[in-house]
Amino acid sequence: MKKTRRVPLSIPLLLWCLLTIVISHAGQAAPPVEPASAGGKAPKTAPASVSAVEYSQKGADTCIKCHDVDSEYPVFDIFKTKHAMKADSRTPFAGLQCEACHGPGVKGMASMEEAQKAGSHVGKVRPGEKRPPILNFGVKSDEPVETQNRMCLQCHEDDNHIAWWGSAHEKGEVACANCHTIHTAHDPVLDKVTQPEVCYKCHLKERAEFFKPSNHPVRFGQMDCSDCHASHGTGTSTLLIRPTLNETCYTCHADKRGPFLWEHPPASEDCTLCHTPHGSIHPALLTKRPPLLCQQCHSQIGHPSVAFTTQGLPNANPSGFLLAGSCMNCHSQVHGSNHPSGVKLMR
Amino acid sequence: MIKRDMNVTTTGGRWLLVILCLPFSKCIFADTTEAEIPAGVDISSWVCKYCEFEQGLSGELEGGVGYVSDNSFKFGEYNGLNDKGAYPIGNATARYRDENADYLNLRVRDLGLDTRSVGMEGGRQGSYKLFLNYDEIPHYISDSARTPYRGNGNDTLRLPSNWVTAGSTAGMTELDASLQDVDLETKRKRLGVGIEIIPARKWETAVNVRHEVQDGQKATAGSFFFNAAQLAEPVDYVTDEVEASATYTTRKWQSKLAYYGSFFNNHNDSLTWQNAYNPIVPGQDAGQLALPPDNQFNQVLMSSGYQLSERTRVSGDIALGRMEQNADLLAATINPNLSVALPESSAHAQVNTLTADLKADSAVTSKLRLNAAYRYNNRENKTPSEVWDWVTTDAFTSAARKNLPYSFTDNTVNLGGEYRIDKVTKVNAGYDFEQKDRTHQEVNRTKENTFWGKASVRARDNIDFAFKAAHANRSNSDYNTVDETQPPENPLMRKYNMADRQRDSASLNAGFIPHERINIGMSVDLAQDDYSNSPLGLTKSREASYNTDASVILTDVTTLHVFASWQRIKSNQAGSQTFSTPDWSSKNNDTFDSYGIGVKHQLIKDKLDVGADYVLSRSTGKVNVDSGAPGADFPDLKTDLDSVKLYSDYHLKENLTLHAAYWFEHYNSKDWMLDGVDPGTIPNVISFGEDSPNYNVHAVMMSVRYRF
Repeated sequence: MKKTRRVPLSIPLLLWCLLTIVISHAGQAAPPVEPASAGGKAPKTAPASVSAVEYSQKGADTCIKCHDVDSEYPVFDIFKTKHAMKADSRTPFAGLQCEACHGPGVKGMASMEEAQKAGSHVGKVRPGEKRPPILNFGVKSDEPVETQNRMCLQCHEDDNHIAWWGSAHEKGEVACANCHTIHTAHDPVLDKVTQPEVCYKCHLKERAEFFKPSNHPVRFGQMDCSDCHASHGTGTSTLLIRPTLNETCYTCHADKRGPFLWEHPPASEDCTLCHTPHGSIHPALLTKRPPLLCQQCHSQIGHPSVAFTTQGLPNANPSGFLLAGSCMNCHSQVHGSNHPSGVKLMR
Repeated sequence: MIKRDMNVTTTGGRWLLVILCLPFSKCIFADTTEAEIPAGVDISSWVCKYCEFEQGLSGELEGGVGYVSDNSFKFGEYNGLNDKGAYPIGNATARYRDENADYLNLRVRDLGLDTRSVGMEGGRQGSYKLFLNYDEIPHYISDSARTPYRGNGNDTLRLPSNWVTAGSTAGMTELDASLQDVDLETKRKRLGVGIEIIPARKWETAVNVRHEVQDGQKATAGSFFFNAAQLAEPVDYVTDEVEASATYTTRKWQSKLAYYGSFFNNHNDSLTWQNAYNPIVPGQDAGQLALPPDNQFNQVLMSSGYQLSERTRVSGDIALGRMEQNADLLAATINPNLSVALPESSAHAQVNTLTADLKADSAVTSKLRLNAAYRYNNRENKTPSEVWDWVTTDAFTSAARKNLPYSFTDNTVNLGGEYRIDKVTKVNAGYDFEQKDRTHQEVNRTKENTFWGKASVRARDNIDFAFKAAHANRSNSDYNTVDETQPPENPLMRKYNMADRQRDSASLNAGFIPHERINIGMSVDLAQDDYSNSPLGLTKSREASYNTDASVILTDVTTLHVFASWQRIKSNQAGSQTFSTPDWSSKNNDTFDSYGIGVKHQLIKDKLDVGADYVLSRSTGKVNVDSGAPGADFPDLKTDLDSVKLYSDYHLKENLTLHAAYWFEHYNSKDWMLDGVDPGTIPNVISFGEDSPNYNVHAVMMSVRYRF
């Protein structure tokens, strides 16, 4: 007889209740975020609101006079994107245009020492002087990642970004612009075929894993990383799209979900106890070859405990415990069986 | 047995509904998420006269022809290029936008291949959007399988009428003559439709439906006691998924309430196959496997995030679900000489799931940030536990067994802190605790404590470096064999998901930009698990991977990309042939190395672009089983892959491009599980006699792209 103490269902519900109470008594909303001081410090609210004087007089026309298709930083493809839709009141080009994201153009950001010393980003620059920066994004940005991201999140803190704060990518200081390309007609990270290359910029190991002989078809453009992972954060440590690992796998492998009359407990608990998700040198993304894979847990008297050596190879005494499907030559229902006589996963 | 409170879930469900609704009552009074124009800023003169807003129809059409030099399922495993011969190339993108924010995007890929897909999205931006996606995903599994069975792809497999049964494959005189090829392949066809509506400011609602048909056949096996045959299992599945959500977003508060449903339907409930061997008992002329049963999963989810202050945020998720399966059970045997009554006509299988997490994160000061998270995950198996008389492989009635409804509960706590030493350096440290409870298994409870630390340096433009190390210690409450398991498990076996474990891991991630045209990345991952209290089972595992890549802008018209990766996975395990202390051990040593280089070059400015990619990968699997007997070292499991792609784009006109590509792949593999194993090689298994895949395939493609 086994007994297991369980955490009652009421505990998480109470926690949720507590969260709701805390929230209902919380203070007022933070003011709109302004770019923070440079240098990696935590963001601060700008000392004073950005005045009208600090914005350019002509908006985007000021910027794109220089940033045309032949410039070092061309931006014209933004006009092919959703950000440049004037009829959608939520978009930058329905409002402050370039400066909706890049901040006021005339004075540069108050926090940018360089801009303060040298003057305006759009002002005259003497020969040999570096043009003062504007609030920019990505790996070469002067701004702390958090400041960059808050600018994006002002509009994009929607259902996909609820869990961004505190997620692995946020804690790892991944900027939105590290993955997203804004001034382009097709953001590569939003396309199933081109997305993985974006992820591989940091996830070098995964690029190699998909070249393994058994793999999920990411390399062939049939799957992308976001079929399983939610890069903007979720409750799972590996940023899975469903609340648990197995539920994520079942989105494509619902035949393995059961629940079966006769379950194989590791299969119901965690698919990765036997499979590795990205790629394997063993068939069916298994972590190891059977029968050894199975013998890591099964050592009952009789054939499960036998040491199967090369004596079972075809040139000696060909063994059904070792060759072809190995253990699965008989126990083929490894994910569970719904047959009344399936207790040994053989029916 | 565990006494379960049947009321917990239903009562909890009612409370849950009330609680889920509470957040919305607050939201009604929240503010907007739309960017606001600061007071005093007059943008009336911002006419955007140079802005080239794209309107009207635009896009690209591609048509052409390709040719593949050889048949190979492995080459075409997922890309649809499995057959020798010519095939049409058809790709298209189209975009329409107008000044009212109406838009339509269309993307068609691989129209002439089994991998074809169509994606459409349209609507009025800011108001609603509609999706329609169609995808075909083939999986060519094996083209070297052979079987004496007829009727492959159906739910009944028969042997030829002149079949001669025998006690082993050696005596099956008609085996060789009866063999026919059976291609193992499946194909998914997915149709997805969805709609997103923004009914009011701050609100988004969405409904997505996906209908997937998967058909084909894959490998399974059936046995009569110790005599088995590999069989083609029919795949004829329909899976429907529905997801509906409503999201309310303000700057402070975001909430999403969603429903997810998944409904699996298998058109075949069983696979019946004729016994190719001499029946062990009279009537054992055929066997029947249960195929995956129809089942469904329904789930309600709620996610919320709240910005308590500029520096502090809390967020949480809760998901309440139920998996159900109540398909009619098959008979315990199809041996007409045996009769077994079932206690139930279906399993009444039901699993309730509850996952909830709560996270808080606060930048306490400008240098110190703290976070805490709690996660609860429960899989409560409510399937009735019954005593079942059962039949061993349609031969003998066996001692009754009880089905065990396995349940799991996970409680996880994460505490972490981050301290920023200066503007480029920060350190993190944390503690994680996980407690896992299981029922009907060898261990009731495991507890794991993990301590970790991380240091990172991020100097803008040229270096980015992070090092993390962790130590974890998992221990179990007690390890006892499960009474219901028959024959009994060796009491010294420690299953590795429940065994005591010491885990150490370290990782290094670095990025360097030594020059503005050179970008170098590097990562190292090391992990080792020690199961020192496990006499039998997995005792040790080690994993190391070293990866690097670099991209270089060689000239204004030439870019180069290279990568290299080395991976080592080792493990040790122990067994006991005498049902006592360890008397054999095994070592596994897997290596995987891959290297790639790619070049893109503009040969003639605005006229001709060329490129090349080469990937080389090698895998080796070494297996050693040492029982003191000869033959411990298995032949190496090996795969070699060399892949070369050359391509060019010749711009005939500004909007007309001639695309040409050549692709060559060489693949060679050695696998002792398959090599030299013909269908009759194993005395007690009629195998598929598959070959480990080898191929040399050339593919050429020529197409014209027209942009409009």
